[in-house]
Amino acid sequence: MSTKARHNRPAGGASGAQAAQPATASSAKVPATAAASAVPTPTNVPAQVVVETVDLVKRFGDRTVLHGINLQVRRGETLVVMGASGCGKSTLLRCLLGAYVPDEGSVRLFGKDIHALAPNEMDSVRKRFGVLFQSGALFSSMTVGENVALPLKEHTDLNQEMIDLMVKVKLELVGLREAEDLLPAQISGGMAKRAGLARAIALDPELLFYDEPTSGLDPIMTGIIDGLIMDLSRTMNVTSVVVTHDLKSAFRVADRMVVMNEGRIVAEGMPHEIKGHPDPFVRRFIQGPIEAKTAVFPRSALERGPGG
Amino acid sequence: MALLTDFLGTLGRNATIFVEEVGQMGLLANRTIAQTGRMRVEPVAVQMIRFGLRAIPIVCLVNLFVGMIVAVSMSEMLLRLGVVTWTAKVVAVAVTRELAPLMTAIVMSGFAGAAIAAEIATMTVNEEILALESAALSPIRFLVLPRMVGVCLMMMCLTLVADVMGMFGGYLVGTAMLDIGGPTYLDINNNAVEWMDIPKGLIKAFAFGMIVTLVACRQGLKANGGALGVGRATTNAVVHSIILIIAANLGFAILFNWTLAEP
Repeated sequence: MSTKARHNRPAGGASGAQAAQPATASSAKVPATAAASAVPTPTNVPAQVVVETVDLVKRFGDRTVLHGINLQVRRGETLVVMGASGCGKSTLLRCLLGAYVPDEGSVRLFGKDIHALAPNEMDSVRKRFGVLFQSGALFSSMTVGENVALPLKEHTDLNQEMIDLMVKVKLELVGLREAEDLLPAQISGGMAKRAGLARAIALDPELLFYDEPTSGLDPIMTGIIDGLIMDLSRTMNVTSVVVTHDLKSAFRVADRMVVMNEGRIVAEGMPHEIKGHPDPFVRRFIQGPIEAKTAVFPRSALERGPGG
Repeated sequence: MALLTDFLGTLGRNATIFVEEVGQMGLLANRTIAQTGRMRVEPVAVQMIRFGLRAIPIVCLVNLFVGMIVAVSMSEMLLRLGVVTWTAKVVAVAVTRELAPLMTAIVMSGFAGAAIAAEIATMTVNEEILALESAALSPIRFLVLPRMVGVCLMMMCLTLVADVMGMFGGYLVGTAMLDIGGPTYLDINNNAVEWMDIPKGLIKAFAFGMIVTLVACRQGLKANGGALGVGRATTNAVVHSIILIIAANLGFAILFNWTLAEP
């Protein structure tokens, strides 16, 4: 499987998205080859690549968890990374956040190789992205409001009044206005995730990472979180990387999807392309475990029955 | 034979781990000290109250008993030698030079070290540390630095309290059990304490405070594996810091008594 060849896909995906926008008649009619050589206009310049990994390899001891991952996420796009538990999704996410240093390859955020940056340069990159962690990862010694206020207090020159206002706005956005003075231990898992999201967007990041944003939530809460992800991407043009194994939510929020298996990307494309993907693992993953179970037994063996 | 190789293997592995740990703690210390310029007073004060003020009763009690133990166990021999009043001298020297800093450090490794390790380990397994880092907030500056400064400062204060309490323990035994007059006891006590012993004890207290916090923070930051990992981090923090404190105390004993004692 050549992952290199797949590099063209994101560009295709992005231009597909542009076609949906009110494109000018002239650029829409120009063939793709001609458009590439034409004078750049807002409609034919591919959106800036915000997240990029090149041949990313991560090993833990003798175990290779990521076998050369190539990813590109363009500005404003929502990329969903799917895969079964233990396929390397979380490791990939931690490499993207700069928490793990890859053994080979590189991670670029906003065009900068994050593992080659000096600590203070890395911090300025970190201020441009937000992360929603699986459990919310709220600081347990602070109230929900203080959690949201912390990045504002530390990284902006806003006065206390302004910070209080911003905190209220962010909490309102995730529907948690009433929980401002509660401690993380006093709120439910779904609320903790929403509070984590409020903290992640405190500094109005250009890029958001979501680690299993809907796992362990009831369908209503899942819908709320999915709605928030879509709203942020639509209204604030936030670039999003969503790591999940929740199919329903994945298809709801994704502009483009990547399916991982055993540390490799096995499929990449638009949601409808993934739905009809020929790869057997992708089909098993999408169609659910019931299909997979029957596939284990050949039909002939079943027809023969126990006596046959 | 297999038993011997197993034993040597385990010994070697543990020695390697130990050396690596000490190296890692050195790195952590270096990174923490590099942040001191950006230190804030309020979080330090919070930690001083948390680990300092609240430790006063325990430190008092432990050192009072230690002073009494030294007085009682020495008195029998000193009685036979006919210099029972020297109890004051023995207690004063033993407490100020060795026992007060050491006992305080051991109390603090349980009181502060375990709490810091459990707290930071829980934050690590809950991804709170990763969340801090991802928000460009240094866990070293936010968590390690205030704890280190707070514990080191309070260790010095607590050691002074321990000095007084240890000598008071000796005084109680001396006046109540050994029939040494109160003024006599105090007189001998005051003459026995060399003024240099106090700052030496404080230097040790500061170093022990560093050991307690560095070990605890290191164990907390590298924790993994849920509740089990938190438990392991806490146990390791206490055990490792006690070992390192006693080893460091030996180092200080050699330094102060051999090197600095030369005229």
